[in-house]
Amino acid sequence: MTLLPMMLALDAEGDRGLVERLQRRDPQALAELYDRYGRLVYSLILRVVRDTGVAEDLVQETFLRVWNRAQGLDADKGSVGPWLLAVARNRAIDYLRSTTGRARNTLETEATEHPALYSDMEKDLLRSDKTRRVKAAMEKLSANQRQVIELAYFEGLSQTEMADRMGQPLGTVKTWVRAALKNLRDQLGEAVPA
Amino acid sequence: MNCEQLREHYELYALGVAEEPERSEIREHLERGCGVCMAELKRAREMAAILGGTAALADPSPKLRRRILASAGVERRRLGWWAPFWAVAAVCAVFAAAFFHSREKDFEAQLSRTREQVRGQTIELTRLTEAFAILSGPDTTEASFGGSQPQPPKGKVFVNPSQGVLLMASNLPPARSGKVYEMWIIPKGGKPVPAGLFQSASEGTALYVHRGSVDVSATGAVAVTLENEGGAPQPTSEPIIVAAIPSRGPSAQ
Repeated sequence: MTLLPMMLALDAEGDRGLVERLQRRDPQALAELYDRYGRLVYSLILRVVRDTGVAEDLVQETFLRVWNRAQGLDADKGSVGPWLLAVARNRAIDYLRSTTGRARNTLETEATEHPALYSDMEKDLLRSDKTRRVKAAMEKLSANQRQVIELAYFEGLSQTEMADRMGQPLGTVKTWVRAALKNLRDQLGEAVPA
Repeated sequence: MNCEQLREHYELYALGVAEEPERSEIREHLERGCGVCMAELKRAREMAAILGGTAALADPSPKLRRRILASAGVERRRLGWWAPFWAVAAVCAVFAAAFFHSREKDFEAQLSRTREQVRGQTIELTRLTEAFAILSGPDTTEASFGGSQPQPPKGKVFVNPSQGVLLMASNLPPARSGKVYEMWIIPKGGKPVPAGLFQSASEGTALYVHRGSVDVSATGAVAVTLENEGGAPQPTSEPIIVAAIPSRGPSAQ
């Protein structure tokens, strides 16, 4: 996977003001949201569905969903970028599942994209040192470790589904997942109990 | 299970792909306000957001911004005689949303699943409608490719000056991980112009529509190459598909 630097004009104070204006239904706020995150959202969705036409349809749906649900985001503490990416990922994986006939038995849309979940996150997360360290760690993973992370993130596969897809024993897949996550987690730093 | 035993599953839970019994265990910890699990899950969500930014950057068409703003009612669009229909549809959508919002949680989940299926089918239907519009256009030019090759892919390209380009191919295996197919419109005597990325289905078929106007008389060929995900501004590999566009009527390569 190619990891390119995110040239995003993200600004903590700007995002906070942006959420407030989205909640007031300020038309310019939606345009600004797209200008900040549109390319990132499109890239993520395209990586999942691999069809530019479908990707644009799903980007449109993602921004409309966020536009219509912005009231649920905490204007002071909410992180609109990570929430937007979660909504985008779910739209793309749901599309993938609908076209492949794969049962939607594991990915829990509501449990992963509720705006209230995206409070108290580092405001500038997507261009922070944390992000740079995790991305660098991704590039250093072994091919198998990277593949299982990509299958979980970009295709929404559980470990059992990954084992089926890769034709590998479940125990082997779990070992790869465990090692990959440990490497990435080490770069993100320890969680601090609330 | 205690928090230490769940430690390796927070990221999978945050991605919605955790399995039983860990999924239920984490949910139970969260419901009883377990501080360790809440902190770990917050970190796991940060990880998920960061992973979302690892996809190779690609540029959507410039029209997408306007389309999104128009569909949100932010930019005025010309609806013509469809306006009453859309108004009724919008009112229905609002009432439906208000109605379903008050339902039980499991009913909402069921509705959400159904809505996603309908949405997926709507997108497919839109694509097929666009394909049909190109196929049925009286001014559509048709070209075949792969007919004389012992190895596939084979198929046809249809170019319509106002609707765009439709590619239908068979025996086109799905691009391997990290790769994607990219279509090119090649002007006569000019450099290839990117015309979008696509992937073939698992059975090796592809139906791809590139929307937009095309100067058919100035187009020499439509080609497809295999590129890194995110695409390339110019082809970086030999074309897998080349369909020469005739000046008039169908032709085969």
